[in-house]
Amino acid sequence: MRSLYGVAGLLLLMEAVPRLGLVDERFLPPASEILRTLGGQLVTAGLWAALGETLLGWALGLGIAFCAAVAAGMVIGTVPGLRAATNSTVEFLRPIPSVALIPLATLLFGASLGSTLLLVVYASFWQVLIQVLYGVAAVDPVAVDTARSYGFSSWTRMRRLVWPSALPYIMTGLRLAAAVAFILAITAELVIGSPGLGLEIQIAQSSGAVAQVYALIVLAGLIGIAVNVGVRTLERRVLSWHQSVRREVAA
Amino acid sequence: MRVVNALAVPLLLVGVWWLVSGGSFYLPSPGRVAAAFAETWFSERVLTDVLPSLARLAAGYTLAGVIGVGLGVAIGLSSGLRAAAEPVLEFFRAVPPPVLVPLIMLFAGIDNAMKVAVIVSGCVWPILLNTVEGVRAIDEVLADTCKLYGVRLRHLVLRSASPQIMAGLRQALSIGIILMVISEMFASSSGLGFTIVLFQRGFQIAEMWSGIVLLGLIGWGLSLVFRMVEKRVLAWYHRA
Amino acid sequence: MLELIDLTKTYQGRGRTVTALDRLSLQVDAGELVCVVGPSGCGKTTLLRCVAGLLPYEGQVRVAGRPVTGPPEHTAVVFQEYGRSLFPWLTVRQNVELPLKEKGLDRARRTELVTESLEAVGLAGAHDAHPWQLSGGMQQRVAIARAVAYEPSLLLMDEPFAAVDAQTRADLEDLILRLWQRLEMTVLFITHDIDEAVYLGRRVIVLSASPTTVLEDLKIDLPAERDQLTTRSLPRFAELRGHVYAQIQRTKQ
Repeated sequence: MRSLYGVAGLLLLMEAVPRLGLVDERFLPPASEILRTLGGQLVTAGLWAALGETLLGWALGLGIAFCAAVAAGMVIGTVPGLRAATNSTVEFLRPIPSVALIPLATLLFGASLGSTLLLVVYASFWQVLIQVLYGVAAVDPVAVDTARSYGFSSWTRMRRLVWPSALPYIMTGLRLAAAVAFILAITAELVIGSPGLGLEIQIAQSSGAVAQVYALIVLAGLIGIAVNVGVRTLERRVLSWHQSVRREVAA
Repeated sequence: MRVVNALAVPLLLVGVWWLVSGGSFYLPSPGRVAAAFAETWFSERVLTDVLPSLARLAAGYTLAGVIGVGLGVAIGLSSGLRAAAEPVLEFFRAVPPPVLVPLIMLFAGIDNAMKVAVIVSGCVWPILLNTVEGVRAIDEVLADTCKLYGVRLRHLVLRSASPQIMAGLRQALSIGIILMVISEMFASSSGLGFTIVLFQRGFQIAEMWSGIVLLGLIGWGLSLVFRMVEKRVLAWYHRA
Repeated sequence: MLELIDLTKTYQGRGRTVTALDRLSLQVDAGELVCVVGPSGCGKTTLLRCVAGLLPYEGQVRVAGRPVTGPPEHTAVVFQEYGRSLFPWLTVRQNVELPLKEKGLDRARRTELVTESLEAVGLAGAHDAHPWQLSGGMQQRVAIARAVAYEPSLLLMDEPFAAVDAQTRADLEDLILRLWQRLEMTVLFITHDIDEAVYLGRRVIVLSASPTTVLEDLKIDLPAERDQLTTRSLPRFAELRGHVYAQIQRTKQ
């Protein structure tokens, strides 16, 4: 119940401040106008198309990064010696901000889905990879002994032991990556001009449609929340066997 | 052995880069990028473009830290405030920070203040939310002990919430770097992001790559510094 | 069935070498139930892990005449840490069934073995529970069922009851005796509990402190039918227990 007060309070504040003239309406339109604009936008086909583009870039990029990172992480984590050999490379490449690749993406793909994918894949790959590596390292040695003593093949060990043991970590990685991927998808559209919600915001801003900029930002926030809630739900489903949610490993 | 382990794969990758780059337009050889790097960044550009960018990042990040931790402690200590604020905060965290760039440009134009404001507005949410989380999770037994012995609550709060605060600061750091670059790419006439885009538009490919490498080095260096700081701050936590 | 000749295991520490097992020899015939006791810190678990093919070693270990280079066939291991040895993402039934699948048994045979073994350990109603929903004692029963369903000719047990309460422990000891008598397998049972060793074992191997060798190979001449009350109150039981206790105390000094 209380949580509604917070939202209501914010809306009221955003309504009152421009109405009372504390901030110029040209910079901050009243909340009612923002919401009305959002409502008006939601019935246009163009917005839904842009939304579709954004979500496509997000989902495709996240999917590619996830599969690649899980495969790479499983190999690096289980082949002896490979973890030590790749550690310095991973630790160097991981903190490189993916926005550094914006000029490269522009050059290679221009304002298209390809640019979005390059940024999204690079940013989310490391989030997942690191968690997979933590997860593979956290496989219980007693469980490994058990699997060995029953003569499990390496494929069975991978599928039946390493994968499920690492799954809580992998889901954490997916959750972090999903949020980062959404940020980068919007960024690519905003800065490079790939089609999508970010491009709509850029267009609205440069044409001075301030209420529309706010409306689209609110929409982006709502989608961000939906992404978080969606991944958390998936996480709970997949880890239903897990009696307690494991402590998160800092990425 | 450790040195071999640390260097083998990077050397291999540079070797592959060198082999692949032969004659490629988009990917100049490592040697050419290195030469461009020395020429481009060991010049007055450091003063005109690199250092101002980093200074804005430092200012924005610090400000976000102060605001985030301050507000976070206040909200975390009051359950009523927390319940009211949480959905609003969750919303602000879910907004992809780069969309704030066009918005803040409305208010602050395209000067330094705008860029710092962008960095603050993106960095503050993870710090704030993690601080709230950390303050809320303070052990009740510990809180009671403090009351009994008259230890000031402030000391306890910041110390025991510091693992979460550091986690928030780490997330904020990578967001800060992203925003530093984007705010300069979007609307600026100087700075790291601006310069790199300029090279790209002028098809100065080797220079562009040297800029990407520099950004990579900055990201890597900052995360290294952060890890050292974190290790010191959280020494008690990792040993426990 | 099981032959250890001059089994030696050394660990390379920082600049020093620790000898855990020192030319240890022993023999277990098919169908025997042999308990191994020793002071804490002696290489009991190391010994078992060498036999299970989980650790490299020097000397000779043979199971059913074949030298052990990896986990030997027809051998099952029950670990002390039941909570970590069972897979929490699988149900009880799936945990028991997984090794059978890996063995390549068909579905009908698997179902039969799973049902039989869970019934034998008194968990007929718990097929679809997850291990972590069960008590510690019940989890160890699942691990035992998994081992038994595997139809091993050699069952290795590494302090399996060290982490369960006393009441459950007595029940589980009798369960092992029943299963052993019924299934005609060879059991090597590692424990630090002298009472348990004398109660269960037909032979008790007493190990020395590290570096570990066999101190005594003691035949337990108690009646074949064991019972928690009557067996444990026999004067001969007290004598044997006292004897083993004295041996272990002596080796500690």
